[in-house]
Amino acid sequence: MAETIITYKPNQRHELGFFKTWMVMAENIVKSKELIWQLFKRDFFASYKKSFIGITWMFLAPIMGIVSWVFLKKTGILHPGDVGIPYPAYVLIGTSIWGLFMGFYGSARATLSAGSSLVMQVNYPHEALLFKQTAQHLAAFLITFAMNIVVLLIFKVIPSWGIILFPVVALPLFFLGAGIGLVLSMVSVVAVDINKVVTMGLGLLMWITPVIYSDNVKSPIVQILIKWNPLTYLVCSARDVIIYGRLYSPPGYFICTGLSLLVFMIAWRLFYVSEGKVIERMV
Amino acid sequence: MTILTHTCIESAQDERRGEKDVILSVKNISKKFCKTLRRSMAYGIIDLSKNLVGIKPDSTQLRRDEFWALDNIKFELRRGEVLGLIGVNGSGKTTLLRLLAGIFPPDKGEISIKGRTGALIAVGAGFHPHMTGRENIRLNSAILGMSRMEIDSKFQDIVDFAEIGTFLDSPVGTYSSGMRVRLGFSIATAIQPDLLLLDEILAVGDRKFIAKCYNRIGNARARGATIFVSHNMSQINRICTSVLLLHQGKIAFYGSTNEGVQLYNSLCSLGNTERFVHTAPEIRFDDFRISSEKLDWRDDLSFQVKFASTVDIENCRARMVIVDETGQNVAEWQGRNHGKTYNIKRGENVIEDRIPNISFRDSKYYLTFVLNPPDGFSYLILANRYCSFIMTGCGYGVTDHQL
Repeated sequence: MAETIITYKPNQRHELGFFKTWMVMAENIVKSKELIWQLFKRDFFASYKKSFIGITWMFLAPIMGIVSWVFLKKTGILHPGDVGIPYPAYVLIGTSIWGLFMGFYGSARATLSAGSSLVMQVNYPHEALLFKQTAQHLAAFLITFAMNIVVLLIFKVIPSWGIILFPVVALPLFFLGAGIGLVLSMVSVVAVDINKVVTMGLGLLMWITPVIYSDNVKSPIVQILIKWNPLTYLVCSARDVIIYGRLYSPPGYFICTGLSLLVFMIAWRLFYVSEGKVIERMV
Repeated sequence: MTILTHTCIESAQDERRGEKDVILSVKNISKKFCKTLRRSMAYGIIDLSKNLVGIKPDSTQLRRDEFWALDNIKFELRRGEVLGLIGVNGSGKTTLLRLLAGIFPPDKGEISIKGRTGALIAVGAGFHPHMTGRENIRLNSAILGMSRMEIDSKFQDIVDFAEIGTFLDSPVGTYSSGMRVRLGFSIATAIQPDLLLLDEILAVGDRKFIAKCYNRIGNARARGATIFVSHNMSQINRICTSVLLLHQGKIAFYGSTNEGVQLYNSLCSLGNTERFVHTAPEIRFDDFRISSEKLDWRDDLSFQVKFASTVDIENCRARMVIVDETGQNVAEWQGRNHGKTYNIKRGENVIEDRIPNISFRDSKYYLTFVLNPPDGFSYLILANRYCSFIMTGCGYGVTDHQL
């Protein structure tokens, strides 16, 4: 058996070609699938180990969201115009997709801190942490999402068949959220301030994304902001494919998809090159 | 012609064998850290920004407030060798292990390792307290890079070695610290690494477990090389084939175990800082001397203590404690063990005696003389580390007492 020789030297990861980085990291992910699964199990299930009703909690949280939706529907507070389906359903789907994006961002941002007890003691591919974090978020999202759909069906809101394309259409949300999150996971080690600013900024971004209102707004300033906000195209396309079975402004969607992919690729490379220098500062 | 060819083949084989034997090669590595947190964070941002635009940060120069935590370290480790990594606190031992494990990148130099590395830098890193021993074994094995099949095949071995027994399905949070160490060590060594890095793991754990660890390390020796950090010099003496002594981030010594351990002991020596005399008010201490400051193995040691008293005290007890350079108690002499008590008279007094057959290993030893009144433990005289002698002629052993 040929023994592999491992070498460590300064700025070693810089020497790897720009495109090779992603292949190496993808390889690491495949090699770490057992680790990702074990870490996922640890963090997803172990958090409920001390609770009597266990993972039933995972179903309770979305119910709260649904209760508020039912409340809005019954009181008829929200009737801002025709969006094709009952307006509260429009908001429910829109906000859960916004939550999906913020979750991608949040879980990627915790990539390094999620492993903080380990990264100083054991050498293992930290890319695995990103995927474990994302898997954890997706699992929680799927539970919520499935319950939402069931409730919508009960209230006779029938989603479009386009829903089967949803996982593909929502993929750019992962690229953008995880890209920003990965950079932030490193920045938050060395500069807590930037982390806070970006998280607040992204929270504000929801108000200039047509999620809880339709893009049919009167204010010209808001219209311009919506137009130039890449999340408009990504979030609204993911929502529209469920409700109407079509994309929201296909050209805008595809341009933003390309940009998101680029952000993710650059962030991944930066993570690969810099994580060592960041980890030694995780005191 | 035939002979020549033969020789050529042989030397080529030798070369190959020699190369194959080197498991770890450390070439002039250095590592810098920053003293202040704020500046460290600032440098972090600068380096990160440079990386973002594709510039390699120059790590070979020190910036303000930075220092070399490791400076120009070089050594080689071959299959079958056990290197003892020793040094006082803060000398860079754990940093060096982290570099070897690939956790931190070096700032200068190069490390190359042939084969798989197993590191036990903090025992049970990643154990989740609410998860059972069984679940944690799977998790920790995955962290150390084992595949599912490998974990399945080694699971029983890990459980047996750790002696977790009936607690396998109890949460790890309820384990004793010794049990956690056993489990951690058991998992880390189960991967059968070519290079095994152990950081002070034998400091915890009971005698029986330590003995089992010795055996494991002994078995690991056949397969690969081991680096072993410990502050316990008899452990170092027992296991290691060579020693690397770090001091303030630099190699202070690299070579034979005996010499390295002696140097370490002298670094840890408190010198004469603890030499003091305390007396009761009625006593005036005059002198405490020994026959010679250099003893050969099995020489006798004579001593004499002179003091004056203002009162008569009958049935006093005299004793003498011998400590080594690290402050460890090595032996104690008590007058009453030899049927001797001392009646102190008003005026000048002398206590003298002879301890036959001193048989310690080669080192420096300090003597503390104590005189207690008959009723208790207060001190009439405490002459702490007052005299010292150097032992020669025995050689270096694992224990202080060489019979």
